[in-house]
Amino acid sequence: MNNTALVIEDDFDLANIFAEATKAAGFDTEIIQDGLLAQTRLKKSHPGLVVLDMHLPHVDGSELLSQIHSDPSLKDTTIIIATADALMGDMYYEQADLVLVKPISFTQLRDLTSRLKLRK
Amino acid sequence: MIKKIMAFWSRLNAFETNNPDDARRGRLLNILLGGTFLLSILIFLATITLLSIYSAWGQQGVNLIFLALIICGVGCLLLLWLNQHSPRLAGMLFLLLLSTAFVFSDTPFELSNGRSSFVFFITIAVSSLILFPAGSFLFAIINTIIVIYLALISKTVPNPTVIAGFYLLALISWLSSRSLEQALRELRSINANLDKLVQERTQALAEALARERFQAGRDEAILNSIADGVIVFDKNLTSLLANPAIVNLLNMPSGNIVGQNARELLISESLPEKSKGILLELLENPRRTEESLRLEWEKKTLSVSAAPVSDAEGEQIGTVAVFRDFTREAEIERMKSTFVAIVSHELRTPLNAILGYAEMIKETVYGTINEKQKNATERIMSNTQRLLSIVSDLLDQAQIEAGKLRIKVDSFEPAELLESVHGVMDKITADANLKLSSNVDSALPENLLGDFHRLQQILINLINNSVKFTSEGEIQMHLFRNGQTHWGMEVRDTGVGIPEAEIPHIFETFRQVDSTPSRQYGGIGLGLAIVKQLVELMQGEIIVKSQQGQGSSFTIILPLNTVENSKETTYE
Repeated sequence: MNNTALVIEDDFDLANIFAEATKAAGFDTEIIQDGLLAQTRLKKSHPGLVVLDMHLPHVDGSELLSQIHSDPSLKDTTIIIATADALMGDMYYEQADLVLVKPISFTQLRDLTSRLKLRK
Repeated sequence: MIKKIMAFWSRLNAFETNNPDDARRGRLLNILLGGTFLLSILIFLATITLLSIYSAWGQQGVNLIFLALIICGVGCLLLLWLNQHSPRLAGMLFLLLLSTAFVFSDTPFELSNGRSSFVFFITIAVSSLILFPAGSFLFAIINTIIVIYLALISKTVPNPTVIAGFYLLALISWLSSRSLEQALRELRSINANLDKLVQERTQALAEALARERFQAGRDEAILNSIADGVIVFDKNLTSLLANPAIVNLLNMPSGNIVGQNARELLISESLPEKSKGILLELLENPRRTEESLRLEWEKKTLSVSAAPVSDAEGEQIGTVAVFRDFTREAEIERMKSTFVAIVSHELRTPLNAILGYAEMIKETVYGTINEKQKNATERIMSNTQRLLSIVSDLLDQAQIEAGKLRIKVDSFEPAELLESVHGVMDKITADANLKLSSNVDSALPENLLGDFHRLQQILINLINNSVKFTSEGEIQMHLFRNGQTHWGMEVRDTGVGIPEAEIPHIFETFRQVDSTPSRQYGGIGLGLAIVKQLVELMQGEIIVKSQQGQGSSFTIILPLNTVENSKETTYE
């Protein structure tokens, strides 16, 4: 599995926590806080893991999701959706490897991502 | 002329006296006097005619006849006048004058002993009528004196039969007059009673009529002034009555409402089919106890309730439907739900951050920490968790109220459910020095259909509740089969129990048995309310048994859906 991870989350603190958790799991993590930025970044890099918040400025999480799915170079990317809305989580259940409903704990994300890393 | 005479005559007869008998006597005397007066005029005219025909003006006594007739006529007029002031005196005078006149009507012998003695009977008979009943005896005596005097003049003996006849007639007159007066008195009293009765009835009727008018006026005023729209339908759902408020609410002229059948009324409107059906159903089967239903009408939200109108025998004769403009309330409800959802979301994000940073410190992401620092971070984490669960409860409650919370049915294993609850609650119960045990009834299928997370939430909320109210002992979870069609979950504790009077209220939102500010137990009182609402969404029921000091048990009975017997069902 590709060792790079992309945390796309507009809240600075949550982005920081998610980044620390993935780093603790052994990923080389980058944080992006804006939808539009994420869109261009995803065209260039091919991260092994994306932690995606659905509420983002400029470009919505669902758009990024379809971009990832339509890009063959990202077909091996593991997607974890982080959402505050459990109902929304249900909607994207099929389109992600994992759907986590906020609050998401540091240890929870750390343990999950390290297990994913080991599996692949 | 005749009219004037008649008016004058009725004025003469209008006696102002409290005694109706006096008035009657006065009128009788009037008739006698009037008759005599007319008779004297007629005789006067007849005498003139006869004298002219036979040219007998020179006859002896003609002057006397005229004098007598004039005296008679004038006397009558004078007595008529006197009768107006003193009927008794006038009557007396009339009779005395009559008796005196009789004295000159024949020779003294004939009057006392012969053919003319009968004339005295007249005054005796009349006196009892126009004076008083016993007046006949008075005139019997007067006439006896007259007859004896006349007999003495004519040097004969008065006829004893005539005198005896006087007294016999006096007796008969007295008796008949008395009984006549008595009968009249009775008749008058009957009449008076009848009058009183009629008056009372008239009064009562007038009052009832006034009351009815007042009532009708008041009902109409109430109907016209209330803000709620009211339509009254007859048995066939044809509208009979609509108040002004309904015209505004439905935005239809009243002419389009009154006289219309409810079905036509609905068809003509662009209502959603579902609303039409529900409304018709409500109007066809109105029940007093039924909760009102919501209806989208054009841009308004209306709440409608219907009640049957029954006649005195209890037979339903119509339906009254009350429409209330619920737009504002519905809007506020929506705003409240949105507000709570947004606030909860905005609260959760920073709480998530606090929790995350605390965890990272604890997990030594930022370097090693000592035991005290570790304890403090754990306190931060557990308190943040508490806050988060409160926010989650508020969000759930808001979603339930907004009707947005959905039950997601999927296959799960009962044992797995208990295991997941243990995962969350073991530490919490252990921290409270309580034992958490569980068992699954072997009769339960290995796979059930249900919303795993919501079932877990129900059990967690119930156990959290038990932990709060149990100081020692244990909490038991039990999953079991309930007959062929149902299964159940039970949470039993050894806590303080619930006072019986409080059991009906424990599922109310923001409710705690002890709601004083210094209450002993924490929590915002949403846990059990959410449990109840979730159970209702799952079409189940909840049974509470409790004995104070002995503990409580909460049993939830749910429809049994297994993978085999059920298609994918989603309750909303």
